[in-house]
Amino acid sequence: MNNTSIFIQTVIGGVGIGSLYALIALGYSMVYRSMGLVNFAHGSIYMVGTYFGIMWYAGLVMGLHVPYPIAFVIGVLLNGAFGVLLERILRPLAKLDLMFMLLGTIGLGYVLDNLFVIIFGAEGFAVRSPLPSMPLVILGVRIQPQMLLVIGVSAILMVALQLFLARTKTGKAMRASAMDRDIASAMGVRVNRMNALTLAIGSGLAAAAGILAAPIVYVNPAMGAAVGLKGFAAAILGGLGSIPGAIAGGLIFGVLEAISAGYISSAYTRGIAFIVVVVVLMVKPSGIVGEITVEKV
Amino acid sequence: MIVVESLHTYYGNIHAVKGVSFEVKKGEITALVGANGAGKSTSIKTICGLLHPRQGRILLNGEPIQKLEADRIVRLGVGYVPEGRHVFPVLTVDENLDMGAYHRSDKAQIATDRERMYETFPRLRDRRKQLAGSLSGGEQQMLAIARALMSKPQLLLMDEPSLGLAPIVVRQVFEIISELNKGGLTILLTEQNARSALKIAHRGIVMETGKIRFADTAKNLRENPVVQQAYLGVG
Ligand SMILES: Nc1ncnc2c1ncn2[C@@H]1O[C@H](COP(=O)(O)OP(=O)(O)OP(=O)(O)O)[C@@H](O)[C@H]1O
Ligand SMILES: [Mg+2]
Repeated sequence: MNNTSIFIQTVIGGVGIGSLYALIALGYSMVYRSMGLVNFAHGSIYMVGTYFGIMWYAGLVMGLHVPYPIAFVIGVLLNGAFGVLLERILRPLAKLDLMFMLLGTIGLGYVLDNLFVIIFGAEGFAVRSPLPSMPLVILGVRIQPQMLLVIGVSAILMVALQLFLARTKTGKAMRASAMDRDIASAMGVRVNRMNALTLAIGSGLAAAAGILAAPIVYVNPAMGAAVGLKGFAAAILGGLGSIPGAIAGGLIFGVLEAISAGYISSAYTRGIAFIVVVVVLMVKPSGIVGEITVEKV
Repeated sequence: MIVVESLHTYYGNIHAVKGVSFEVKKGEITALVGANGAGKSTSIKTICGLLHPRQGRILLNGEPIQKLEADRIVRLGVGYVPEGRHVFPVLTVDENLDMGAYHRSDKAQIATDRERMYETFPRLRDRRKQLAGSLSGGEQQMLAIARALMSKPQLLLMDEPSLGLAPIVVRQVFEIISELNKGGLTILLTEQNARSALKIAHRGIVMETGKIRFADTAKNLRENPVVQQAYLGVG
């Protein structure tokens, strides 16, 4: 095994983890864009979504072991429905100061985390991958099949999201109401419904990330904290509120983390990636992509 | 068409509209004029449902609508052209027009109406795939008007349609407003440019610090010496 293959392997691993961060970052950015709300409960929503899917696959519900793809779809849909409920809970917070949003959403996150400790216990469990655990070897580069699944499914979801927002009437209305809430409602858009849909999509994507991650991480009710924070850092890195920014930010963050873990020390993984984020933001506070605003009055 | 009865609208503790009553008659242009901060925009926003009055009623063809949200009121046939245009900057011109027709489901008819808008506003046709935020102020105003028309309104509310536009564009905008009215559309517009507004309007309402000072035919207002001196820059 030569140095180049090790590097490529590291980068692929980083892209895989980065895709998960991107899916999480999208949730932060979309909700921020449409409701003006920074949702610090999002990490916990990721955890909830993971359970919503994995519980069917791992035999937590009446000993059932439904196939992974079906568990995936159930988890995404359940967490999407949960997102609609969240809109009702978060709606009053969106009108308040950042301080109240912070307290309200962090508080909500704690409630969810503890609720899941009560239901499923604090103890976590490992989940076996639906794919073979033997790594594939392509041109000397070893790749875990689950990692390919992570990258492939995440990519499909992100392309689908872009197409939905760009092409469909509802997607356009979501973008319009994020741009100008009042005017969109004067055009007949039910803005609260658009917000509910936004939270549903954000939560569904978080569930997708969690269910994809489950076979490579340890599933437990505290799993959302670190990932939630990294997803948020990725969203900020790309420019909070920007959809391409969330994707770019997630991927960059994941690759940075993998490289610093592989070449420097895994003990510093978290620190190094965050330091890079801080440095980037000092140079360009609006994030890498920033907000695309074409304004002329 | 629309009757406003002793309307009171607040922003928190700020009492912006203080007991305003007036009527907009079907087929007419009514101009709401007055200085900065008189409460013109607040009145318009209260009618289209973006603000809700603390007291008073708004009757659209006899039905009270003051409690309805904006997304319901547009479905009843009230179109809104906001002050400052407020086109959706990162949607294209085409998409902005489609947003205007958001509550309609007659797809084929929407496409026809969109083409008709491009006949009325040929400059927009050339820019239909362009982002609305990249248009000039005048073009954005045309787009804001066309977008509101796409909702097929029976009543059009226009807040300061001439604000910030070059004199030649102002003239065009007022011509378009007259044309729309001749085509049967009822219009309530606000203007700081009282002179131009009262030229095309049938009736005028002069507001001052949240209250109505004068309400009369546009002709009588144009000839009223007090109005002339305070609002038309005569004398
Ligand atoms: N969002 C707001 N919050 C608090 N006060 C407001 C708000 N908008 C308007 N006001 C106040 O309400 C009063 C009426 O404002 P309004 O915008 O209706 O005036 P206007 O006649 O449209 O003025 P202009 O000609 O400048 O557009 C003003 O005193 C204004 O300061
Ligand atoms: Mg105004």
